[in-house]
Amino acid sequence: MPPTFAVEATGLVKTYPGGRGRPPVQALDGLDLAVPAGTVHGLLGPNGAGKTTTTKVLTTLCAPTAGSATVAGFDVSREADAVRRAIGYVSQGTGADPLLTPRENLVMTSRLRGASRSAASARADELLERMGLHDEAGRRTGTLSGGTRRRLDVALGLVDAPRVLFLDEPTTGLDPEARAAMWQEIRSFAVDDDVTVLLTTHYLEEADRLADAVSIIDHGRVVTTGTPASLKEGIGADSLEGVYLHYAGRAWDAAAIR
Amino acid sequence: MSATWAVQTGLVTRRWVVDSFRMPWGLGVSVIQPLLWIVLFGNVFKSVTQVPGFGHDDYITFLVPGILMMTMLYSGAWAGTGFIDDIKSGVMDRLLSSPVRRSALVAGQLTQQLLLSLVQGVVLLLIGLAAGARYAGGAGGIALAITASLLLAASFCSVSAAVALTARDQTALIGISTLVVLPATFLSTALMPVALLPHWVEVAARFNPLTWATELARTGMSDSVDWGIVATRGLLLLALAGLTYAWSVSAMRRYQKSL
Repeated sequence: MPPTFAVEATGLVKTYPGGRGRPPVQALDGLDLAVPAGTVHGLLGPNGAGKTTTTKVLTTLCAPTAGSATVAGFDVSREADAVRRAIGYVSQGTGADPLLTPRENLVMTSRLRGASRSAASARADELLERMGLHDEAGRRTGTLSGGTRRRLDVALGLVDAPRVLFLDEPTTGLDPEARAAMWQEIRSFAVDDDVTVLLTTHYLEEADRLADAVSIIDHGRVVTTGTPASLKEGIGADSLEGVYLHYAGRAWDAAAIR
Repeated sequence: MSATWAVQTGLVTRRWVVDSFRMPWGLGVSVIQPLLWIVLFGNVFKSVTQVPGFGHDDYITFLVPGILMMTMLYSGAWAGTGFIDDIKSGVMDRLLSSPVRRSALVAGQLTQQLLLSLVQGVVLLLIGLAAGARYAGGAGGIALAITASLLLAASFCSVSAAVALTARDQTALIGISTLVVLPATFLSTALMPVALLPHWVEVAARFNPLTWATELARTGMSDSVDWGIVATRGLLLLALAGLTYAWSVSAMRRYQKSL
């Protein structure tokens, strides 16, 4: 039976040592999250709220200090390898080797994950086509524009047909046109490929347009979760920005909208 | 289903080999550097053969095994830089969140470094030959010298990788390497026979892997091979390579634990 929730986290805590007598840093402080399979879920919150740490724990990149989480039905601590096989991860940085071409990056990633030479080659061509990278396929990744590289990063995350795709600020630094194209692609993963997408973003408009539901994170906890519409309705805000400031806004910016 | 360890290691090796061909500067320097050393050391120190107690009549023949090992040290110092680039760019995050074995990431990069070291070693021996060095031990001696150089390279590259994954900072890695490499060269028999070294240097040199590798190569390429030296120094180098490799793999795991 497939899991009802593609991502389920309970009481996640992540503490980093402060170092040199400074107190430890509490990046996550009892975070709970449940993302239904096949949906796009947005994580919103101020810088340092714990969005990226959440992503790192769920992608098995780092281990939680306490709490537990499952991704695609596998436990991130005990079944890390199964989680890794089931996910794609597009981090804030680039995931591609700048000296290799997009095609070489895709083929290598696919083969590292177990695809045969011919299967990897076919998959690379398919993704190059789909992400509109056909013309740049043979150029060195380091020479490509920011938007093109970001499309390659997403393609790399999709190589192994993941069940859950983690996108950490996928459109930061993109021009409006590239951003709109990326949104269209992200929607299509969820609808056409039945991929669950966990999306971290600073752009409220992005979450509003893309996400079936959003969670607002602050101080390492989820402060509210719901569909963009229900969240707006709940506090009588007319935009997601109002919701965001209501839950995660600092005193000074909350005052600014009153 | 994931790829086997061997396939993953091969793919990682290939990635770094392709990368190094696309940075022709690095490749060029790694071949030109030993050439400069042979020319410079060979000329500047030429007259040491006349010092009583030197014990060899031809400095170039004496020098080539030493320069071979020095080259391994100096190239190995850079081995960890690729990991730091990957950490900074985000490539490392993507690899570590995928079902790639951590040891394959380390072994693949080490294999590429050893291939580069092999090319450097062969080029260096050819340069030495052109400069007048004689390898009385023949093909077998050359094979011994190259093997010793690869064991030394494996150790030093692994240390560099481990330091890189622990310090995660390019400046720290280069700084530490520079600090180690030059004293290591002079506290060894790479440039000077043991009889001419001051006592304390001689003692330090005895524990220096650079000395072990140089001695192995020197006797291996001479006309009367001392198999006792080959066996003991060979085993020491093998043990060191094994230990440092294990250290670099555990540094990779510790890196992930620190995230």
